[in-house]
Amino acid sequence: MTELESNNSLSEDEFASLITDLAERPAERHQLIELLHEDHPIYDQRGAATIVRMRGWILHTLSKDQIKDDELIFVLEELDTGIDPYLVAAAAKALRSYPNPKRTFAPFVVHALANIRYRDEPVSFSEYGGYGDETTILQELLATLEWLGESARSVLPELQALVSQPAGLSKKLLNRIEKIVRSLEPVNDSTESCCLRLRDRFTWEPRSRKSCTEIESVLFEDQNHELTTFAEFFKGQPSIVVFFYTRCDNPLKCSLTITKLGRIQRILVQNGFASRVNTAAITYDPEFDSPERIRGYGENRGLLPGPRHRLLRARDGIDSVRKHFKLGVNFIESLVNRHRIEVYILDAQGQVASSFQRIHWDEQEVVNAAIELLDESKQVQDPNSQIGHRKSAFGNTFGLLASIGFAFFPKCPICWAAYLSMFGIAGLGQIPYSPWLQPLLATVMLINLGSVWLRARATERMISFYLASAGAIAIISSKFSESLKATALLGIVLTLAGSMLSTFSGRRQQKELTSH
Amino acid sequence: MTTKRKATKKSAKPRSTRAAMSVAISKSKPVKERVAALAEVPLAVCESDKDLQATLNVLRDQDEPIEVRLASLQSLQAASFSVIAFESCRADYIATLRKVATDPNPELRQRVLGILAREKDGFAQKKLLEGLQNPTKALVPPEKALQLLSYDIHSEAYSVARKVVENPPNEDAKREALRLLAADAKSAPLFEKLLRDKNENAEIRQISAAALQALKPEKLQSNARDILLDDSDYDDIRATSLTALTQFGDAEAVAKDETLKKHVGKMSEKGGAKVKRSARQFMSKYGR
Repeated sequence: MTELESNNSLSEDEFASLITDLAERPAERHQLIELLHEDHPIYDQRGAATIVRMRGWILHTLSKDQIKDDELIFVLEELDTGIDPYLVAAAAKALRSYPNPKRTFAPFVVHALANIRYRDEPVSFSEYGGYGDETTILQELLATLEWLGESARSVLPELQALVSQPAGLSKKLLNRIEKIVRSLEPVNDSTESCCLRLRDRFTWEPRSRKSCTEIESVLFEDQNHELTTFAEFFKGQPSIVVFFYTRCDNPLKCSLTITKLGRIQRILVQNGFASRVNTAAITYDPEFDSPERIRGYGENRGLLPGPRHRLLRARDGIDSVRKHFKLGVNFIESLVNRHRIEVYILDAQGQVASSFQRIHWDEQEVVNAAIELLDESKQVQDPNSQIGHRKSAFGNTFGLLASIGFAFFPKCPICWAAYLSMFGIAGLGQIPYSPWLQPLLATVMLINLGSVWLRARATERMISFYLASAGAIAIISSKFSESLKATALLGIVLTLAGSMLSTFSGRRQQKELTSH
Repeated sequence: MTTKRKATKKSAKPRSTRAAMSVAISKSKPVKERVAALAEVPLAVCESDKDLQATLNVLRDQDEPIEVRLASLQSLQAASFSVIAFESCRADYIATLRKVATDPNPELRQRVLGILAREKDGFAQKKLLEGLQNPTKALVPPEKALQLLSYDIHSEAYSVARKVVENPPNEDAKREALRLLAADAKSAPLFEKLLRDKNENAEIRQISAAALQALKPEKLQSNARDILLDDSDYDDIRATSLTALTQFGDAEAVAKDETLKKHVGKMSEKGGAKVKRSARQFMSKYGR
């Protein structure tokens, strides 16, 4: 138990002191990040306004130092879905403490501007819980846009639209936006090389997925009062699961989530997967959300309920479901006081295969993740097939052998005989020279390269791909010139290193995700 | 005659916004004139920063007559309904409201806290909760504080409201606390108990019935049936029970309940007018 978990009954003043104390100890910064998880015990039984003050103060405190990559998701989440001025202002301020502006940030800032502009309020960061008027949310967002500078180019059309239709924007703020637009209008090539990859999606390989045994018997009631257990509904085919509650007052969270689930159902219907992938929306608030309420909520947002597509409430409370999924939610009494956006893709065994968290997800991407699991289900059902990392390890080894084979492949029958005599295996002299084998080995080598690339992309560790690519280039070049013959050996070493790294980094990420 | 005609002509011509605003903020003008001028300017309040600041100054200034301050609040509130046009004024408006929320004048305080509470303002909620927990800090009476807190179901008011129900400072506060708890699923047993308590006053029992309908409709049905079969219970609450079963009851279950139907049949012939009327509606739906 961490220092903070044992302090869930802190008063707000004590909380503020603790945050100040943690901020003074850079080694304890991870504890500040832990506090941004909605399910942290410190938020239990607190009102929504109190949580806003607490989280806002954490973001403000984090911004005193530089925001790190793994902390960004909490900042961008607030800009993406936040409707509370204090929190959005704190997030805008925190973003400016990132070491340098990135193109990735601009759409989030403009999105926040559109979400919050008619709710402008005075905010103050001079003391914890302060309601002074030293700045406003719109001023903070514009300051962040100014900080983005050239990196805001991608949102220039949105900013131009704002200038052409300023509605009730004050002249002062409008002048600032016009200045930003003017600075972006001359077309300059951006020197920024790449965008950031946000950690909003998590994937678990089959062997590392958490079993659902503990909740298999949890009883759910659907929108038509029909009862089903977790195992009955979720086992047998992949499922897309979202969480919501009908009394959520943030239209960018639950309401939008259910609307998007409706769009997912339509995509499934259009692609003929509606009967092969389940969809479910489970309420965080089963005590209040009766079957009638969830049915009405779903219907009003375009859901298409059916036997494989249901709105569900856990009959005996949300606790076991919350624990199993590690839901990003907390409560005051039975009511939700704060939650994140979260979508889970379950495999045919009802185990979580991947999840999308905090940032708005793309419907097609979620559908694709579920469809990928259909292939996996086939493999699981086929007892002769090898699954998971065994298959992958075999692929890597085979690819590596192909690379070696390609590197040393003899050019002619004489070379072939020379190879055989060199190895002193006269008995193999009967093996005929087969020129067709060379392109085959080359193809397998390239397939191996492709496989390393896919794994590198998934693990976000591209070094293995770079090594394997360099290896492939070295092997291929050795084929064109006698003087480059020696590079074949280097190519094999590089390919070997790339393939090994690919396999180990994949396993390491699985472990990280499992522990997460 | 000529003077009269001039006066009529003068009043028929509306004064300019600028003229109205200058009257509204002028301390030397009579209160009535200023109040009337402020009633004319809502749409103009946000047109210039100067006018906005002048109106906000009137609202903030404790030396101004309270009638004028209330009129300026009303004018600003009316302007705020034009959400888009009011965009540039909103931050200053909210900042001023937070300052005036602790004003010595109770009426102004209550109105301002009401506006902020409807915005689910964290500052207002904090002040209202503090007042309920520590009456010496209360800015408004407890019943008003509970009513304002009930605008946001996510406020921390449930535990405070339960304490008020257990130990109410007055009947109004108890009533408002129960209304607030009507959104709390965990309070269903409390409402069931109050609904069946014949010593409770009729209004509290009716609030409990409405809360149960929202939280646990099946519990209301079973309790309503028991109340109807109990001839010693009061007419008001029996009429409420009849309405609950007629409007929201499980039609199939009620239609099969011969004991209940027989009892209600008798009620439609004898009893108070309200009960008779409700019983007849019940019988016309479920038959004899």
